[in-house]
Amino acid sequence: MTALHGSAARRFPWQAALGRLVAGAALLTAVGVLPWLSGTDPALTVLRARSADQDPTPQQLDAVRAQLDLDQGPLAHLLHWLGGDAGVSWVSGDAVLPQITSALSVSLTLMLGALVVTLLVAALVCVPTLVLGSRRRLARDRAGTGAAVLASLPKFLLASVLATVCGVWWGWFPSSGWEGPQWMVLPSLALGIPSGAMIGGMLDQSLPAAFHEPWARSAHACGLPPSYLARNALRRTLPGVLPQFLPTVVALVGGAVAVEKIFNIPGLGRLALDSAIAQDLPVLQSTTLALVLLGVAAGVVVRLLRHALLGRPLRDGALPTLHRPRLVPPRSLRWIAGGCALVLLALVVAGLLRDPLHVDTAARLSSPSGAHPLGTDSLGRDLLARLGHGALRTAGVAFAVTAVSALTGLLLGMVPRASAGLTEVTATLPAVLAGLLIAGVTGPSVWGAACAVCVVGWTPYAAQTAALLEQERASGHIAAAVSLGAGRAHLLRRHLLPAVGPALLRNALLRLPTTVLVLASLGFLGLGEQPPTPEWGRLLSENQPYVELAPWTVLGPAGALVLLSVLAVTGSALGRRA
Amino acid sequence: MRATSRGLIAALALTPLLTGCFAQSDGGGEGTAEGTGGRLRVALAVPPVQALSPYSNDATVLSKLSVAEGLTALSKEGTAAPALARSWTQKNPTTWTFELRKATFQDGTAVTAESVVNALDHANSAATKPRVLSDVTLTAKADDADTVTLTTKAADPVLPLRLASPALAILSAKAYAEDGTVSPVGTGTGTFRITRLTGKTKATLDRYDGYWGGKAKAPGIDVTWIADGTARANALRGGDVDIAEWIPTAQAKLLAADTRHEVPSVRTDSLILNTGGGLFTDPALRAAARESVNGSALVDSVFGGYADPAQGLFGPAVPWAAEDRVPVTGRAKAATAAEVKAKTKGRTLRLASYTNRAELPEAATVLQQQLEKAGFTVKQDVREYTQMEADLLAGKYDALVFSRVTLLDTGDAVAYLASDFMSDGVYNIAGLKDPAVDKAVKAAAEEGGTQERRKKIMQAEAAILRTDAVLPLVHEQAVQGIATDVEGVLLDPRERSLVDVDTHLK
Repeated sequence: MTALHGSAARRFPWQAALGRLVAGAALLTAVGVLPWLSGTDPALTVLRARSADQDPTPQQLDAVRAQLDLDQGPLAHLLHWLGGDAGVSWVSGDAVLPQITSALSVSLTLMLGALVVTLLVAALVCVPTLVLGSRRRLARDRAGTGAAVLASLPKFLLASVLATVCGVWWGWFPSSGWEGPQWMVLPSLALGIPSGAMIGGMLDQSLPAAFHEPWARSAHACGLPPSYLARNALRRTLPGVLPQFLPTVVALVGGAVAVEKIFNIPGLGRLALDSAIAQDLPVLQSTTLALVLLGVAAGVVVRLLRHALLGRPLRDGALPTLHRPRLVPPRSLRWIAGGCALVLLALVVAGLLRDPLHVDTAARLSSPSGAHPLGTDSLGRDLLARLGHGALRTAGVAFAVTAVSALTGLLLGMVPRASAGLTEVTATLPAVLAGLLIAGVTGPSVWGAACAVCVVGWTPYAAQTAALLEQERASGHIAAAVSLGAGRAHLLRRHLLPAVGPALLRNALLRLPTTVLVLASLGFLGLGEQPPTPEWGRLLSENQPYVELAPWTVLGPAGALVLLSVLAVTGSALGRRA
Repeated sequence: MRATSRGLIAALALTPLLTGCFAQSDGGGEGTAEGTGGRLRVALAVPPVQALSPYSNDATVLSKLSVAEGLTALSKEGTAAPALARSWTQKNPTTWTFELRKATFQDGTAVTAESVVNALDHANSAATKPRVLSDVTLTAKADDADTVTLTTKAADPVLPLRLASPALAILSAKAYAEDGTVSPVGTGTGTFRITRLTGKTKATLDRYDGYWGGKAKAPGIDVTWIADGTARANALRGGDVDIAEWIPTAQAKLLAADTRHEVPSVRTDSLILNTGGGLFTDPALRAAARESVNGSALVDSVFGGYADPAQGLFGPAVPWAAEDRVPVTGRAKAATAAEVKAKTKGRTLRLASYTNRAELPEAATVLQQQLEKAGFTVKQDVREYTQMEADLLAGKYDALVFSRVTLLDTGDAVAYLASDFMSDGVYNIAGLKDPAVDKAVKAAAEEGGTQERRKKIMQAEAAILRTDAVLPLVHEQAVQGIATDVEGVLLDPRERSLVDVDTHLK
């Protein structure tokens, strides 16, 4: 086994290493010039971070500038930092390294907790298919509605609800702080449930293909136990899904800001956000480096795991390709898809007939009634109207961003040697960093948020494409096509793309709700539509403080998001039949 | 089965690794919720930025938790009261003598005139000067062991008030490091001594038995910083803390009525109109905005009842403001909606607000509707404060929904008026250049008598309001969450004190 690992990893060692180095260096340089690029004076942001009421007099700003050697420009700072000195925080004057290590260890622990929950939830999602498939009773297709519902739950909303219900009402677990294993439970659940549903949903969709392969039939005919079939089917399908752990779970180390805030966890996400806003360069640079290293390390581990699972056939080009069998779609699928479409349509039409901007402070937070079918928000605005008016914009932007991201990912994933490093380096980056860079270049803009999300959002698709293509290229029918004289374009069009497409689509649709939320989370940088424009992500975030006082203010938007996601997933399942 | 046991071993091996990954808690010293031995558990809102240095935002923590003291303190009425200085006299307009009381620092050394001079000199020469010293040049000299003479370059009638600022806390010589950092850990004179500060998350304070003002009733304080307002409210409701400061108005209703204590704050929320450029250079349009904006509509909606309708720049937290208030006269005549439409010629009103205080974006949306009724076309820009501050100071917006502390760390209102509304004010977001305002604020600044000064401050307020550069909306109330078994928590409008010698668990 070890020899095989070695050979697989050694195949293009220096190219991959170079790719990572270049991507990492480019990213760190971009972060290094952020304070000079952002158009916001770092002396002012640092002064503000130190003291909220301090007058920004020229003398004070000069004092800060002199203290931080800002006049030297970005290059001197970058060289100093590269010289191996993590330095001291611009804001607090404390050494950077201890801050980063403690925040990183907290975030890694949290990520491991989330990983455990992710695995459990993913297992639960896949169990029915595994049980049926291993007994060869998989006649009907499964829609994956449950997984789509769970995957579209906003993490911060889940966190709020868990903190209130399990923390405050029932007192089962502490609702804030980070002092021992019992403090891990609620945040891990909030982060792990949607991630688990997403990964489980993707695995669940590829399992039938594994059970459909000849070996499974033979094994069953030979009377081998169902557990044998289940185990090997997993071994067959896991390599295609494994790369998703990087952008879905490992990225939580730096990207769980909202959940860290709700549970008051001193993690790396908050450190990164605070330092980015204060333009505290030494902290920001070291945080980014930590995230980059983490991404690369996780990428290497995933690669090794995949090669361990697939083993010799992958190297020898003797991997049979996975093909989904033609399964009868469950009758309920049509009903579910139709129902979702109908409800959404009704919501939009009914909402469009109402005024989404009319503020009526007297009707504040009123519960659903005849006048306001979905209730009103904290300013007395009709939630149905806001949902309806926000639908097209939200769905349009989210679909566009997802499409661009998926396409970018597909293209980059097709040249894995060049892009592997970039993928790993970008996968763990919080969107907020990209947002800051974009905001620095363009200033506040409507399209800024979409750009920022596209900049980091392609990684799951690139990782997936690269993994699937690697498996596909190792399969027998490609070798046959090549020997029959098929050209590159033909291979791509007739063999490779059809193998990657459906899985990629599924992934993109499951990630749609996350995209909506990430887009809205960049609003505080002035990116995206400004309030009071209704937009689903904003509806959720602006009503989050009222979760307990007026649950309907978030139930409506969250429900709409779930409906959209279920519709997309079931719709694509139906489309597959057609 | 082999796989399971391997996994089990891995899990067992990981456990000790994980235990190192939690925020360090005190080994055994700390009990459970029931067994804290009367220690107070306090949740504060703003995490320390500079390891509790008095020259930063963190200064208020030192006074809130009675860790450090200055020469003077602020009384309830807003006048200077004795603290480390027993008494003081003003020799001439620029010279003051302070008599020190017998006190010791928490590290055992005595408070002497030398140590006071040392502390004030350090504040004076700090790399970024504390705000409270920004408009004064202060020299301290030790006359004898317990007498300090302070001289200012120009006459400074509010010097005793100034010295009450937590930024001018007197710390022992040990606190001031070579590199310019200041550490209040174990170096203050207050009733509680910081024994440990864990990053930006926790601090442990013990009672200081040598406090000159007697022994504190609580044996110590365990401080947790919880930045998220909902999380703070949850911590109190879940019984994790005894005191949680600044409960957001959206969460206040969720607290039990007997744990919810509102206190008028010196914070006033207002709509600042940019008189320096854009739409609102026209006084008639400013007057139209003033007529259309109704701050009291915000009180019960956005602020959930935890605010008072604006009476002027200074609200009920400044007790003398109401009696000395001067009616505003001679304001410009408001343009009608049709005139507004004609005058703006299709230009949009750029309305800014920031996300740092959750109520402001909501208020902006209500104001947008009110302004649109008056004929304006409004476009909002809502961002994080630091992301837009430079643009605000450069006058890139027409209007800003702004939340401002009206009594800054001097405890004196003139500093706020001067920085925000004088032609050369550094925080003059309104871009106001009005000779009458400058004159009125200057007159107030130069006045030494307390009563007269207050009268002149209120005349300056009227002069500022006359220009319609600022439209006061509401005076905020702070909601403090205090568990029912805690007694003696200070409800301070200036957000400077919270726990003192008398605060304890029942």
